[in-house]
Amino acid sequence: MRQDLEDSQREPANRAFYFTRAQYTSWEGRRFGSWAVDFPKADRQFLIGLRHLTNIDAYEQEHPVRLDDPELRRFPFLYALEVGYMSLTAPEVEGLRQYLLAGGFLVIDDFWGSREWDNFEVEIRRVLPEYAIVDIDPTHPLLRAFYHIDEILQVPARGRGVGNRPTWERDGYVPALKGIFDDDGRLMVVINWNTDLGDAWEWAEDPWYPIRYSNFAYQLGVNMIVYGMSH
Amino acid sequence: MLEKLFQLLFKYRPVVFEQGRLGFESPWPVTLVLLLGATAAGIALMVYARTRQLDRRDRLILTSLRIAAFAILALCLARPILVIATVVPQQNFLGILIDDSRSMKIADQGDRPRSDFVLEHFAEQDGALLQALSERFKLRFFRFSETVARLQQADELTFAGRRSDLGRALETARRELGAVPLAGLVLVTDGADNAESSLTDALLQVQAAGVPVHTVGLGRPRFDKDIALERVTVPRTVLEGSSVAVDLTVTHRGLGGETIRVTVEDAGRIVAAEEVRLSRNAEADLVRTHFAASEPGPRLIRFHVTPVDGEVVRENNTIETLLVVEDDRRRILYFEGEPRFEVKFVRRAVADDENLRVVVLQRTAEDKFYRIDVDDPDELSAGFPTTREELFRYHGLILGSVEASFFTHDQLTMIADFVSRRGGGMLALGGRLAFARGGYAGTALAEALPVYLDSETNSDTGGFFAEVAVEPTSLGRAHPVTQLAPSMDASEARWKDLPPVSMLNAVRDVKPGASTLLLGRSGESRDPLVVLAYQRYGRGKALAFPVQDSWMWQMHADIPLEDQTHETFWRQLLRWLVTDVPNHVSVSVSTDRVERDGLVSVTADVSDSGYVKLNGADVTATVTSPSGAERRVPMEWTVQRDGEYRAAFVADEDGLYDVHVDAQHSGVPLGGGRSFVQAGDLQSEYFGAEMNESLLERIADETGGRFYTPETVNSLPEDVSFTESGTTVQERRDLWDMPVLFLILLTLIGVEWGYRRYRGLA
Repeated sequence: MRQDLEDSQREPANRAFYFTRAQYTSWEGRRFGSWAVDFPKADRQFLIGLRHLTNIDAYEQEHPVRLDDPELRRFPFLYALEVGYMSLTAPEVEGLRQYLLAGGFLVIDDFWGSREWDNFEVEIRRVLPEYAIVDIDPTHPLLRAFYHIDEILQVPARGRGVGNRPTWERDGYVPALKGIFDDDGRLMVVINWNTDLGDAWEWAEDPWYPIRYSNFAYQLGVNMIVYGMSH
Repeated sequence: MLEKLFQLLFKYRPVVFEQGRLGFESPWPVTLVLLLGATAAGIALMVYARTRQLDRRDRLILTSLRIAAFAILALCLARPILVIATVVPQQNFLGILIDDSRSMKIADQGDRPRSDFVLEHFAEQDGALLQALSERFKLRFFRFSETVARLQQADELTFAGRRSDLGRALETARRELGAVPLAGLVLVTDGADNAESSLTDALLQVQAAGVPVHTVGLGRPRFDKDIALERVTVPRTVLEGSSVAVDLTVTHRGLGGETIRVTVEDAGRIVAAEEVRLSRNAEADLVRTHFAASEPGPRLIRFHVTPVDGEVVRENNTIETLLVVEDDRRRILYFEGEPRFEVKFVRRAVADDENLRVVVLQRTAEDKFYRIDVDDPDELSAGFPTTREELFRYHGLILGSVEASFFTHDQLTMIADFVSRRGGGMLALGGRLAFARGGYAGTALAEALPVYLDSETNSDTGGFFAEVAVEPTSLGRAHPVTQLAPSMDASEARWKDLPPVSMLNAVRDVKPGASTLLLGRSGESRDPLVVLAYQRYGRGKALAFPVQDSWMWQMHADIPLEDQTHETFWRQLLRWLVTDVPNHVSVSVSTDRVERDGLVSVTADVSDSGYVKLNGADVTATVTSPSGAERRVPMEWTVQRDGEYRAAFVADEDGLYDVHVDAQHSGVPLGGGRSFVQAGDLQSEYFGAEMNESLLERIADETGGRFYTPETVNSLPEDVSFTESGTTVQERRDLWDMPVLFLILLTLIGVEWGYRRYRGLA
C-alpha cells in the first residue's frame, strides 16, 4: 500500500480517517460493556481490509471514544453495536445528539430481534426525538458508493449460517437497512438490524466462516465509510 | 499691492516688461553719449585725485558714486524704450468662453454663487470690465459645458450643464474664430474639468495657433467645509446572495475628527451602514463596508454620506453605481485524490447555494472514482478530464489531496491553462498528497499557485504537521471571502474564537504579486504559515488553502450547532472563486454609468470551445434602450488584441440600457454575453468642484496667457492688449522717465554729498 511506511510513523492525530467505536453505557448487570463486543479484533481486521481495498488514509488501530467526550466531534464517523443493551446517560444522549446534528455519521450494527430493536428505538428517540427511522431504499447512493450492492444479506454471527444452521438470532429473521435522515435529507444514522457485520469482519480469516458473508460485510462497511466521508 | 509698487517705480505694469523688448532711441549718436559719459567720469576722477585731504578709500567711494550718477544720466540720454506689440483697437476679436455648467451655481464665497461674477461682469453691458474690453476688441461670447455654443445674449446662460469640457470649448472657439484676427481667448470657469476628451490635445492646437488663453478662475481653491464621496470600488458583477465588499474613498475639508454616517442603499432599502470617524491629519479616509446582493439583475446601488451642517456642496455626498447580480449556476469540479471528510463538509456548506454546483470526483482506490452530483451519466466517467473542452466546462476547480504524478504532463498544463487561458478559478487544498509533498514543485501547476513550493521553508516532503490558529491579515479583514460577520470587528472576533485547524503542508512563502488573506500560527512554529493566499494568473485566479480539515469549524465541540461560520466561509470562498469567470463570449462596457448622450463603448472577448481567442467571428451587439427600442450594432475585431471586438453607441435616453452580444463562427453559435449601462444624471459637476487653480495656471502658462481671479481681473483688458496675435502695431514706450531712475540718481548724488560733508569737503 502506498505510503505505508510513512503512515505507520505518523501520529494518530493527523489521519484522514479513524474507525471510531462508540463507547456507551449499557444496562447495568446485563451484558455490561456491550459496546466492546468483538473489540478490538473486528476493528483491526476491518481496517486492514479497508486500507487494502481503498486508498483511505485510515488509522490502523482501534479507536474507541466515549459519547460524552467532546473529542468525539473530531471524528465524524462512528460505529456502535449491540445497541439492544444500550442505556445512555443524559450526557451521552446530549453528546450524541450534538454530534449527529453537527454533521457526524453513526453506523449501528449487531442487534437482533424485536426486543433489542425496542431498546434501541427508545434510546435513539431520546437522542433524536424529532426524526423518524425509515427504510433505506435499495437504490440509495450508500449502496453504490464503492461497491454496487443489490441485496442486503443477513450476516450471521460466528458459528451460524454454516451447514443447516440458521443465520438469524432470536426473532430477527429478516435483515434490515434503515436510516435516520435530517431535515435536509442527510443520512445521519445507518441501522443494520438483524445482522452482524462486526462478526464477519472479526472472523473473516476463519476458514469456517462463509466467505460470502464476510465479503458482503466488507463491501457494506467500505460503502458506509466512503459514503459517510462524502455525504 | 506689489504690482502697484512696481508700476509706481517702473512706470508700467510687469506685463509690459514681460511682453516688450528693450531698445534705445537716442537722438544723439551712441558714441557721443558714451564719450560724454566717459569725459564726465574722467573729470570726476581727476578732481578727486587732486583733493589732498582724501585718502585712497575715500577717493574710490566718491569717484564710484560720481561715475554711477553719470552712467545713469548717460543711460537716460540714450533714451531707452520698450518695444511692445499692441492690438489695434477694434481691429481684433476676443473670444470669451463662459462656463455654463452646474458647478457655477456653487456658493463657496459667502452666499453668492460663482455665476454671479459672470452675470455682473459679462452680462451687463455697462459693466467696467466689459466696457474696457469692448473699447479694445470685438467680443465674441461662447458658453460651454458638455457642449459649446455661441452666446448671443446673456440670458442664454443657464448654469445647468452636466459637465465641463474645457478642451472642447477651447478647440471650438479657436476653430470658429480661426478666420478673423484673434487677440486671444478668455476662459471664465472654475476649472473643474470632468470631460473624457483630452485637454492636452486641445491645448496643443491652441498653442500651435499662437492664441493666448487667459483664464479667470472662479470659486475657492479649497472649500471651508465639505465631504465628498470621491470614489467607490465595488465589483461589477456578483452572484446572487454574495457578500459585496465596498471600498469608499471619502475626502473632507475642515471636518477632521468628526463622525460621519455612510449608508448603502439598494432600491431605497438600506443594506449597510457605517459610522466613521474622519482622520484629523489626512483629508481622505478609506471606508470599508460590505452588503449582501440579495436581488438578481442589474441593481443601482446608492452610497451616501449624511451631510453635515455648513457643507458647501451636498450633491457630492452621493454616488450611484451599477451592480449586476447574476443568478446563474457556476459549476465547480472538486477533484479529491482520497476519501476525506473535507468533501462531505464542503458539499454540505454550499448545498443550499443556488448559484454553485460542486461536482465531486473522488478517487477511492487505484483507478477507481466516485462521482457525486454529476449532470449526466457520462460526465467524468473516465476520471479526471483529459481534454480542455471537458475541463473548461467548469468555472472552478478544487484540487484536494492528489499527487502530481497522478496527472499526465498535459493534464497539469491543462490545469494551468484552465486558470490562465479559460479564466477559471483554481483552489488547491492541503493534504498529505498536496503542494510540495505531492510532488508539484517544478510543474506547470506550481507556476499558477500563489505560493512557492520549492523554497527552503516550503519544501516539505513529509512529516510536517501543525495545528494552527487562523487569523486574517489586514487585507483579509475586509475581503469578501474572509469576512465572517456583518462588521469588520465582529468578523475579527469570530476568527479569534474559531478552533484550530491542521496542516500537513509547510507553506510560508507567497509569490510577489500574491495576496495573503489568512495566516496560521502554531505554538512551535516561529513564522506564520500561509492559510489562504491568491494571485491572478492570466485571465483567472489561483488560490492556495493548505488546510486539511477546515471542517473543524463545523464539527468542533466549541462550535454551536446554529453557527454558520463554516458555511459562510466556504460559500464566500467558492463564490469569489468563480464569480468573474468569463464565458465564451464575455461583454464589458466602458462605464457602468454614463451621462445622457454620452458615448458607450462595448467590448466583447470571444473564444472558441477550448477558449482560444477567435478573430473571425460574427459578433453583434443588441442594445435595448430604456424605452424598449432595440438596435443591432455589428462589432468589429479591434486588431490590437486577439478575440477582442468593439462597438459603440450613444445613450440618448435616461435609464437602463441592456447590451446583449451574440457571436457565431461559420454559422455555429458560440454563445452570448450581457452587460448593462445606466444613463442619466451623474452629478459629475459636484465632484472635484473646487476651483482648479493649477489647471487654469497651466492653461495660461502653456499658451502665453495669464491667470486671473475676480480680485485681479481688472487688469485683464490692458493685459490682453499686449499680444502678437491678431492685428497689432509696434508701440514704443519711453523708459528714461521711469521714477526709479530719478530715485537712483538722487540717491547717488545725495550719498556723495553726505559723504563729502562727513569728510569735511565743501
